[in-house]
Amino acid sequence: MSTLTANCPSCAGPLEFKAGSTIVIVCPFCRSAIARNDRALEDLGKVAEIAQSQSPLKLGLKGSHNGNRFELTGRAQLRHELGGNWDEWYATFSNGWVGWLAEAQGRFYMTFYQPLPEGVTLPSFAGLQLGQRVPEIPAPAPLMVQEKGQATYVAAEGEIPYKLVPSEKLQFADLAGKGNAFATIDYSMDPPWVFAGSQVTLDEIGLGSAKPVEREAARVSTVGMGCPNCGGPLELIAPDQAERVTCPNCDSLLDVNQGNLSFLKALNPPPNQPDFVLQIGAEGVLGDVKYKILGAVVRSVLFDGVKYFWHEYLLYQPMIGFRWLVHSDNHWNFVEPVNPAEVEQSGAFAHGATANYNGRTYKIFQNAIATVEYVKGEFYWRVEQGETVRAIDYISAPMMLSQEMSESEINWSAGTYMTNEEVEKAFSVSGFPRPWGVGPNQPFTGQFYYTWGLLPLFLLIVTAIFMIPIAGLTRTVLNQQLILPPLTNATTAQTIFSQPFDLNPRSNVRITAGAQVDNSWANLDVDLINDQSQEIESVVVPIEYYSGTDSDGAWTEGARTNDAILSSLPGGKYTLRIEGTWQNWQAQMPVTVKVEQNVNRGVNFLLALILLAIVPFLGMIRKFTFEANRWKDSMFTSSSSDD
Amino acid sequence: MLKKLYMVFGIGVLVAYSAAAWFGWEIANSGSKSRMGVPFFYTGFRGGK
Repeated sequence: MSTLTANCPSCAGPLEFKAGSTIVIVCPFCRSAIARNDRALEDLGKVAEIAQSQSPLKLGLKGSHNGNRFELTGRAQLRHELGGNWDEWYATFSNGWVGWLAEAQGRFYMTFYQPLPEGVTLPSFAGLQLGQRVPEIPAPAPLMVQEKGQATYVAAEGEIPYKLVPSEKLQFADLAGKGNAFATIDYSMDPPWVFAGSQVTLDEIGLGSAKPVEREAARVSTVGMGCPNCGGPLELIAPDQAERVTCPNCDSLLDVNQGNLSFLKALNPPPNQPDFVLQIGAEGVLGDVKYKILGAVVRSVLFDGVKYFWHEYLLYQPMIGFRWLVHSDNHWNFVEPVNPAEVEQSGAFAHGATANYNGRTYKIFQNAIATVEYVKGEFYWRVEQGETVRAIDYISAPMMLSQEMSESEINWSAGTYMTNEEVEKAFSVSGFPRPWGVGPNQPFTGQFYYTWGLLPLFLLIVTAIFMIPIAGLTRTVLNQQLILPPLTNATTAQTIFSQPFDLNPRSNVRITAGAQVDNSWANLDVDLINDQSQEIESVVVPIEYYSGTDSDGAWTEGARTNDAILSSLPGGKYTLRIEGTWQNWQAQMPVTVKVEQNVNRGVNFLLALILLAIVPFLGMIRKFTFEANRWKDSMFTSSSSDD
Repeated sequence: MLKKLYMVFGIGVLVAYSAAAWFGWEIANSGSKSRMGVPFFYTGFRGGK
């Protein structure tokens, strides 16, 4: 680095331009912004002192980016036109590069000046549309306009690599691309300058754990203050971030300007006093990070003349930034910001529209104007009652992807469904009211019963297939014709025995009997006699067959054969004893008997199938009902499941 | 808990089915002397008429 020493033209204090890239240095004695040019030093005017912030960064910190070492040599603080400050740190690299490390809401962006190819012209600031892709900027993937705005240089310190004029306003556009790509177009230059790079973590640039003491010291502190309207006490939890705070004593909305409060307006009380179940200032651990609740908002949407309300809690952690906890119909979502360029939309906010993010497809669920109804606590933007954004929700349980569009900004966020129990545990509270319906992205928890629940069914089929060769095919062990002599009277049965036959154990038995009956009946009591033990198993085989003709034509009823099935019997030699009575008792009755084993009826399989299918079937009905309940509150009903 | 109960039930049905298939037990449509009326497995003879 080349060092130039000089005296401040304002206070004559010694100045040292350490980096050759330094254009402006802020005099540490009189806070004048001193620019150097070819001939002399120029006093650009006084700059304010850097507002106290909880930034983990400070001048002099050394880090590395893509293997190149740098040092933070300057810092400018800019104020957004909608409120809120952000810092731009200037990283002077050992190889002469200058990087811009922007720090906003706990996120960091490292960018470098990006010259445009010859002949390429960027769209004008007025012509730039939110969501528009700007292929003119060289990048691996097209960059998309995420925000347009105006900012003012309010404070600076150290060495600045461009001509920073205090209180100068600049128009800018922030662009985001896939893979954390990030760029800013600075419209204060003509033609506009582009700074391109990526969102980084402090770990990635060698500042993550380098200075843990400084980072520890930068924790949220509370600053006790008095309300300028009622004089009542109030305190700011994150004074360097707050732009608005409400007075808990008089319900006034106060403006916060670098820690100074001024009365803005009295809040219109909502029709029903909002019942925030979590208190401002409460701390909760979500995903291993301890957040503090800074503020709470009641928002609403209007459908068919009916307003639907929900609550949003603003969470803050200095090293991470802001997150949200959304409480709607007693369902909870933890909401984190998403890089808009990572989201791909299809469809035009209508039925069937989807959004893809992180390998997941989300279905459109709601598209409405969301209105801020009431606020409590402190906020990092200039929140107003009645403030509106277009809010479009896409769901893929347990996730929800939300797009919020205002005139100057497009924001995407991803919400993760949380159970009441999880939120209660996170904030060490209990007794939250339970939800009465299905949340838009509430996960269905019964998949087990129709996913793993089908496993026994599958195993049953496999078992049945393996049992076929083991059990064998149907085997006939007796097939004989017998003739029963005429009965002595209508009620006294005739008896006849079959020839002996062998039955195998472990096989069912089917006895089929046939009789030549015609418009009459025969009743056969068949006894299966074990020749060795003389034990008997009895079955009844009734046979009846009728036929005739009527006005509809020929008809028949019954059959000339009938059978009886028995479960397996002990193996051994058996004989059938057949006792018969029949309608035409005066005539003899020829009968045929057949005994079979291994008869494959499938009744056991069917019974097991029914038993095992009950739970998966009920699970699927439950799933169907669950999804129907989920989508009944949507503007875009869906017949398909969302798992 | 319900999942475990269901899996125990499912395994129980499978074991019962396998045992029935192996031993030839079956829901029969006859066997008038069986104690349950719908005999499933052989419970012993109950003598003649």
